[in-house]
Amino acid sequence: MTAQTHPQITRDLRMAARQGLLPARGSGWLGGFENMFRKELGEWFRTRRWWGRILIWPALINGIPAIFRATGQIPPEIPDILYYFQIAVIAGTIGMIILAQDEVIQEKQSGTAAWILSKPAARRSFILSKLLSDAIGALAFIVVLPGLIILVQTYLTTHQMAPLLPFLAGAGVVMLALLFYLSLVILLGVLFESRGPLLAIAFGVMIGGMFAAASFPQIGYVLPMSMDKISLMVALGQPLPTADVSQLISTAVLSILFTLVALWRFQHKEF
Amino acid sequence: MNTSNSLVIETNNLSKAFRGVQALTGLNLMVQQHSIFGFLGPNGAGKTTTIKLLLGLSRPTAGSGQIFGYDIQRESTSIRRRIGYLAQDPRYYEHMTARETLRFTAHFFFTGSRAGIEERIQETLRLVGLEDKADRPIKSFSGGERQRLGIAQAQVNYPDLLILDEPAASLDPQGRHDVLEVMERLRKHTTVFYSTHILSDVQRVSDTVAILDHGKLISQAPIEELLNSNSKPIYTLGLKGETEKARQRIASLPWVVAVQTKPVNNHISWEVTVSDDGIAEAQLLKQVQLGDEVTVLEFGRMKVDLEDIFLTLTEGGQNGKH
Repeated sequence: MTAQTHPQITRDLRMAARQGLLPARGSGWLGGFENMFRKELGEWFRTRRWWGRILIWPALINGIPAIFRATGQIPPEIPDILYYFQIAVIAGTIGMIILAQDEVIQEKQSGTAAWILSKPAARRSFILSKLLSDAIGALAFIVVLPGLIILVQTYLTTHQMAPLLPFLAGAGVVMLALLFYLSLVILLGVLFESRGPLLAIAFGVMIGGMFAAASFPQIGYVLPMSMDKISLMVALGQPLPTADVSQLISTAVLSILFTLVALWRFQHKEF
Repeated sequence: MNTSNSLVIETNNLSKAFRGVQALTGLNLMVQQHSIFGFLGPNGAGKTTTIKLLLGLSRPTAGSGQIFGYDIQRESTSIRRRIGYLAQDPRYYEHMTARETLRFTAHFFFTGSRAGIEERIQETLRLVGLEDKADRPIKSFSGGERQRLGIAQAQVNYPDLLILDEPAASLDPQGRHDVLEVMERLRKHTTVFYSTHILSDVQRVSDTVAILDHGKLISQAPIEELLNSNSKPIYTLGLKGETEKARQRIASLPWVVAVQTKPVNNHISWEVTVSDDGIAEAQLLKQVQLGDEVTVLEFGRMKVDLEDIFLTLTEGGQNGKH
């Protein structure tokens, strides 16, 4: 730092504030939300990783069925769309857990959370900005972009357009599965101080739940263990069994519950 | 909001315990507007704990506090809107540049024209001398540059109160000098509350100090008052000749408390502790020279510095050793 004179600080700084700058919008429980949300959304869309995501997710979700079809492993009568839902739910869930694991823990460990919360930022805004931006990022890169591509793929292979509304409803089920794991990971990030327990529990719910559901089908009434199948059935316009309807409702309720608990716990967290 | 006095920070028996360990006990702080308030204490004394309580990052287990008259627990957002904070080990998003970091910080406080915000960012960068590094990612910054950025982000919002936790601890002497200079310049506009254990810095820039030890406030006063109140005046003399006879004469004076002697090279050194500084200033040298038995080589008043006071008040620097 130089020891030169800085004339700009000799004038009345508050007068300068009054002249050109207005107080930020958003107070109370949403204080700082707009700023944090813009920053978090920028992590998805305004960094160089944007290009990586544009390539990786379609390569994974659209590329695998395309490769199988090119190598003759998919019979011609089965459209690619059937694989979209399965891969989007499984790969999307794994991706969601990995992408969101650092959202809260990293900020707690590095000290940036304490820095932000020393500004007029509400704690609820901190959590909600991450949740909402990640949901939008996942929707764009994991659901919408590969979904548009798969519609084109399906048309090119079958020369028929998939029914749009059922397809969108199926994509909504994929998104619900991703929201469940996103809210779970955010909650675990609030509760724990390291990634180990977070990853163990999140993947434990995903993988362990699938194994457990084979022996205890009741689990399928509560946890999103067959969202790939449900999303496909919805996209094909097939009626859902009671267990699957229960699973959809329970997944939505649990996602909200995880979010509320995360908000409550973070509100009482000490830094 | 209470506007009946000029207190910016006021705490009332503020206490904090972590899992049964008392980190802060019954803290009563009073920080006046436009002061540079040095918050002193050995490592682990409770300085950072206090700052986190004031910022609402942590909750007190007992007591209360107000900043600008707002309650630190219930009205923390209103407080944080008017303060700037520099953490002891400041961390930012490493991929962001200094300018992006300041823009992100500024948007917590301001909306309005983009040009207005950019102008403020530029002013702040200039203030801390980071203009030429403004568009470099923070991950390439040195410790000193991070500290400058820390000061910049802490005052981008024209804060009425700056809270700085060990702002100069990790800096080299030039960096420390520059940080203290910025603090002095900001005094006109803001109150500065800063924690430190670098006592020479405190003595240089602070007007009021509080000393914390083992989580308890052991002294709080304007620095001059503290320096003058915690010890009796001591005069030092360098003498040659028959010093013992002179010593007996001086020691018998009613305003002399004690005379300590020690040989130094080829002369004798005295430390004369007096009870009345005015009389001593006028009379001591004359009294010593009254007989012809000694020659006075040196005469002066010993300066008590903050370090002496600090060590005395914190039990000789024995913090944590008993």
